[in-house]
Amino acid sequence: MKFIKTYIPLFIVVTVGIITLGTYFIPHRTAQTYLDGMNSWLSIIYSYAILVGFVSLFMSHGKKIAKQAEGWGYSIFMFLGFFLVFIPACFSQGKQSIDGVMTSYGWAYQFLFQPLSATMFSVLAFYIISTVYRSFRVKSAQAFVLFICALILVLGNVPAGQAVWETLLGWTGLHIADLTDWLMSVVSVSAKRGIMIGLAVGSVVTCLKMIFTIERSYLGRDS
Amino acid sequence: MKRFLAFLTKMDRRWLFLFLTIVILIPIIKPSNMEMKSISSPVKKAYDFIDTLPENSFVLLSLDFDPGTRPELYPQALALCKHLMKKNLRVALTTFNAGAPGIMTEFKDSILQTFPEKKYGKDIVMFPYRAVFLATVTQLATDVYAQYPDDADGAPLNKMPIMKGIKNYKDMALAIEISGTTLFTSWIYYVGDKYHLPVLGGTTAITQLSYSPYVQTGQLKGLLGGMRGAAEYEAMLHDNYQLETGDATKSLNVLNWPHMLVFLIAVLSNIAIFFGKFMPHKED
Amino acid sequence: MPHSLLVLGAWVTGFLTLGIFSFLYKDNPLFKITENLYVGVGMGYYVSLYFFQVWTPLVWEPLKEGNYIVIIPSIMGLLLLSQLVPKLSWLSRYTLTFTIGYSCGLAIPMTINTDLLTQILGTAKPFANIANVGGMDIFNMIFILVAVLCVLTYFFFSVESKGAVKKVSNVGIYVLMAYFGAAFGNTVMARFSLLYGRFDTLTKYSHAEYLYSTPIILTLFVIFFIVKHFMDKKKAAIAAEAEANGEI
Repeated sequence: MKFIKTYIPLFIVVTVGIITLGTYFIPHRTAQTYLDGMNSWLSIIYSYAILVGFVSLFMSHGKKIAKQAEGWGYSIFMFLGFFLVFIPACFSQGKQSIDGVMTSYGWAYQFLFQPLSATMFSVLAFYIISTVYRSFRVKSAQAFVLFICALILVLGNVPAGQAVWETLLGWTGLHIADLTDWLMSVVSVSAKRGIMIGLAVGSVVTCLKMIFTIERSYLGRDS
Repeated sequence: MKRFLAFLTKMDRRWLFLFLTIVILIPIIKPSNMEMKSISSPVKKAYDFIDTLPENSFVLLSLDFDPGTRPELYPQALALCKHLMKKNLRVALTTFNAGAPGIMTEFKDSILQTFPEKKYGKDIVMFPYRAVFLATVTQLATDVYAQYPDDADGAPLNKMPIMKGIKNYKDMALAIEISGTTLFTSWIYYVGDKYHLPVLGGTTAITQLSYSPYVQTGQLKGLLGGMRGAAEYEAMLHDNYQLETGDATKSLNVLNWPHMLVFLIAVLSNIAIFFGKFMPHKED
Repeated sequence: MPHSLLVLGAWVTGFLTLGIFSFLYKDNPLFKITENLYVGVGMGYYVSLYFFQVWTPLVWEPLKEGNYIVIIPSIMGLLLLSQLVPKLSWLSRYTLTFTIGYSCGLAIPMTINTDLLTQILGTAKPFANIANVGGMDIFNMIFILVAVLCVLTYFFFSVESKGAVKKVSNVGIYVLMAYFGAAFGNTVMARFSLLYGRFDTLTKYSHAEYLYSTPIILTLFVIFFIVKHFMDKKKAAIAAEAEANGEI
């Protein structure tokens, strides 16, 4: 049983990993054909992967309704939302507009999905304000550097901020636009580059460990 | 004074939410008109690169954003495409983002409305949505028509005047990627570095700093970041091509007030904490 | 699109947007409704998209044309569903290991090339042109080189952080703090841009052509909260009275 459950999957990861790694160094059409084929296979697998989330979601909300657990009424809206989009999609074959005319699926996308999605992201703006108020406290030299750089960007990103800077500190001859540019093009580049190089080394090492089966945590408990 | 400091340090955050709502609504109702006085270097690099492209060059413009990031990225895409139209370049729109096809159609209509002399199929074309990014961009290196035999409406691409002489990346001058996701990095990895097609792009302000090292190394020919990047690009188009500034400049003016609110809150809360230390405490 | 559908859309958008924003006041049934709608609508959209834009052209169409090789990735994809049954979850390992092996094999050379070698080159290459550039450019080159080394030293955990290593790490921390501060400043602009987008839409839908949807929905929300406040107050008073009577 261990052969089927563990050794065959490990064989797959070694084989596929080494072959894929090798195609980078083989400038032959076969390598390109292999990559094109595997990319399509991966996309097909991803299209089934969403089923896992779909089934899991339906099962958990379905159980809640069946047991009439606390808040079960809200789960009905989850199913309602799903069918309000999926059924029109089936009728219009997944097209948001046909011959320039918006379909019911297109309507659902524009007036259901778009506002919900955009609003969820925009709520974070309020929490930014709350964070600035509660957590942006200067308690050390390092926090002070963070605070000053954040304020420079906050002022430098908008015309009014630039005007405020010129009014208060224009006499220094230092323009906030130059300071912002320097922060973003020099200081941030240095920090991000250091992080990038560190991450690159780490991810290459992790990928090699996975390909050569040193790292097996993705197999689960009895790996 | 002590009560004021206590109020400042312990205010219910819902008052802040209300202040923010008010400071965003006021400039929407009564807009101001302040211009960006500066142009950042990555935006200038993007502008200069496009400005030096020969007329009739073919540019791939990929709109990979969804409604969540549309307010920041749509004005960038619009500003860049207006520049491409002014330079008489050929533009092919494409997308690999599931939420973008509807936005892409609206974008194309907007460009054709702004430039009535430009024709679909001759100056601009829309490639259909593709979910498989890696397979698509890899195949574009050998044969565009293998991935895109037809445009988004089903018309054969090889019959369109815009596609004359275009077979693969070697016949293209530039790829522009507009995205707030990791797809941006994939364009640099799998198109810029692998096939040496110049890449420049626009991204959200949050991810802008993550790509600044690529601008410094030249892997990205330029980068627009957030609303500010779009407004700066509009300002350059206004100065050089007399094009009217658009949504980005208007939006940036709205953002003046919330930014000042953030600045004020950050400074006041720290002042309150600082002076609070020196206030005498009553012993219970 | 008929104007009536546009108006209906405006009202639905207004309700959904204000429903989510109502959480900022406090958790309430209207927010819970819109939250669950969001989950369902999001799932519906992505399932539709993957079904019509990926599965149909990549699996269904080839199968109709007699290309049966797509059955292999389809079976691998279906094996992922075994994760929902604990006793059979080991079947999904075949698909996971294929995905991991392929992704790792693809990522290694690209990461080394783009994120490692080119970045190191980008740090050192400007020095080749040092004779032809001015004072500030030379300062920036040296700053980038020194700062990158300091940041890398901070992340180098194999050597104990003491003495000279600690001092260099501390410089790296300050560079990182400057980066995080700049990132926060940019995040502020990004989030406010998104919020402006929503407010702009709500303002657009508050005009007569959309039958004043935003102000009417906002008023109804306010009335709801006021009524709920008094109902909750009454419930609390009754509960307190019952408790007091119980004690007596």
